[in-house]
Amino acid sequence: MSDVSAEGPSDLLVDRRDFVARMGALAAVAAAGGCTLPREAGPAPPPPEAVEGARAFFRDAPRPDLSRPGYADPAELTAWQAGTLIRDGELAATEFLEAHLARIRRWDQVYMAFNHLLDEDGLRRAAALDDGEPQGLLHGIPLAIKDNYYTAGVPTTANSHIFRDFVPDFSATAVHRLEQAGGILLGKTQMGPLATTRALTPDGEVTTVNAWAPGEPRISPGGSSSGSATAVAARMAASSIGTQTGGSITVPSLAQGLTGLKPTMGRVSLYGVIPLTYTRDHPGPLARDARDAALLLQAMAGPDPRDPRTQGLPPVGDFLTAATPVEESGGPGLRWPTRIGVLAGWADGDGEEARQRRAFLRTMEEAGADLVEVELPERWSELASGTFNAVRLPERSEPFLEYLKDDVRLFGVSLSSWINGLFISGDEYLKGQRAKLALLRLAVDELLAKCDVVVQTGHVPFDMIGLPLAALPIGMREEDEEHPRPRGILLGAGPFGEERLLSVAAAYQARTDWHTRRPPEPTADDEARLTGPRARSRGRLDVESVARRSQ
Amino acid sequence: MRRRPPSREELDDYIRTRLALIGIDLSVLPEDDPDAPADQLRVLRSARRVLEQTVPALSDYSLDPQEVPPSMYPAHLPAVRQVAMEEGRPAPAAGGSGRPEEDAP
Repeated sequence: MSDVSAEGPSDLLVDRRDFVARMGALAAVAAAGGCTLPREAGPAPPPPEAVEGARAFFRDAPRPDLSRPGYADPAELTAWQAGTLIRDGELAATEFLEAHLARIRRWDQVYMAFNHLLDEDGLRRAAALDDGEPQGLLHGIPLAIKDNYYTAGVPTTANSHIFRDFVPDFSATAVHRLEQAGGILLGKTQMGPLATTRALTPDGEVTTVNAWAPGEPRISPGGSSSGSATAVAARMAASSIGTQTGGSITVPSLAQGLTGLKPTMGRVSLYGVIPLTYTRDHPGPLARDARDAALLLQAMAGPDPRDPRTQGLPPVGDFLTAATPVEESGGPGLRWPTRIGVLAGWADGDGEEARQRRAFLRTMEEAGADLVEVELPERWSELASGTFNAVRLPERSEPFLEYLKDDVRLFGVSLSSWINGLFISGDEYLKGQRAKLALLRLAVDELLAKCDVVVQTGHVPFDMIGLPLAALPIGMREEDEEHPRPRGILLGAGPFGEERLLSVAAAYQARTDWHTRRPPEPTADDEARLTGPRARSRGRLDVESVARRSQ
Repeated sequence: MRRRPPSREELDDYIRTRLALIGIDLSVLPEDDPDAPADQLRVLRSARRVLEQTVPALSDYSLDPQEVPPSMYPAHLPAVRQVAMEEGRPAPAAGGSGRPEEDAP
């Protein structure tokens, strides 16, 4: 493990101007045709050296209180809790995996979170892991993988006709690293077709439901990493990974009470991930809490010779330490002095959401944060508008052009986004890339000049400019009495501010228990509505609505 | 020059022509079938929306080329604008949103 924590989090070590210049170069690479669909090639590169701090992380982590209601089922454990028990010899990887498989067998016909299960392979791997000493960070942890990550020898469909029969012969770098860290691939998860919107069949039929409202498919599970989110929320996987181009990690995390982390552009390799938008695609974890998100990110992050976006960056941070709050006399506190920027009006009002936001801010002050009022810079809303958001579209059309020429029906219900990208001209695309640089400058020079972390009102701006985002639950939406479900917030940070975000989330979670809430099991009515001979349709989206909602 | 918004038929012709130029064939889709994964009517309507809303907004938005250079050489437009203003001729907008001056060259 690097010794970054002794000096401070990585965001203090970064030359922000250099990051702006890098993003400019990235836009230029995209303009020059730097995006290709990954080709089948040799095996993924070797992983980074095993993280030395793993042993300390598990040694210092609090032991789970197994007397708590519900913990009789190992599937209720977080990844770090299970990792602690596995290291202590109190839980076998096989037992932990079986617990999740049992829930999948019982419930996934309702949730429809998985595309493809790897139960037999997983059990073989769990047995092998049980025969050895725990080494890696994720030893024996069952993971759900979004179906746009290449997985060697396993179908990788991105829920699209285009990849219907595609079985890559190597795994995406991120997946390879998770396995090298001891993670067990439990299955590939449902997703929006080609990562566009909530999980649908290629032709638009709704599949995955929100684990908090399984009987009401109209309540979105979030998109497009919905299958990964529902798998974790429904305790069918200990943790998961997704990708974010336009909210696809943070939106499902917010919808289902998870802790999602979209890292800085380049922190995690995209090699072996089916592309959506070259300058905006980000891989990251959807986890049960900040510690679990840190475990996955620590395993996935780092330079990859096959992805130029990962090259020449600051050293990978110490996410495990960042996600371990400091014990102060007044309770768990932030690891570093941290200024949280609060947008004017963000927590104003009498409604439940405003009250929950104020409670979050109070908790963070108690944990040692300085709250700083900030305003969005002039021109921010123009540069982050839907107009400039649309310049992502040509980046999805270009690498798929041969498929568009072959047969537009291959795109199913996702077709319009790919067609629409052909109508943004070259000069408009370039202007959009320049606008992103202008927005990034406003972010680093103005918005983040006064704070280390800033509350967000939406994911689009930081998705556009490659800055990190974290989503975490801060309460429940009790106003929907029939379907109460989590409410969360979105936090952003400067370049390579993942440690900062994790430290805030971890300190908050050490003082609250919203992240420990679990959705109830589906009712008999839910089951009857969605499965069996009298099952109703879950609904469908048409080609226009998918284009409007597209990530 | 004042803009005349293109008609729906003109936009559809433009869309079909552009697609035909690069070898993309929408005619394999049903013409109007709300139950199909994609049909011509809805695909064209979605593309028209981009042409009618996004394209003019992108085109009209002006970014200061010195602040956000389009490439690594000095921006020339500010100089042109300065000379034009000194000579009392119309000049391109200097940045920000909104429609360009109607008489701009």
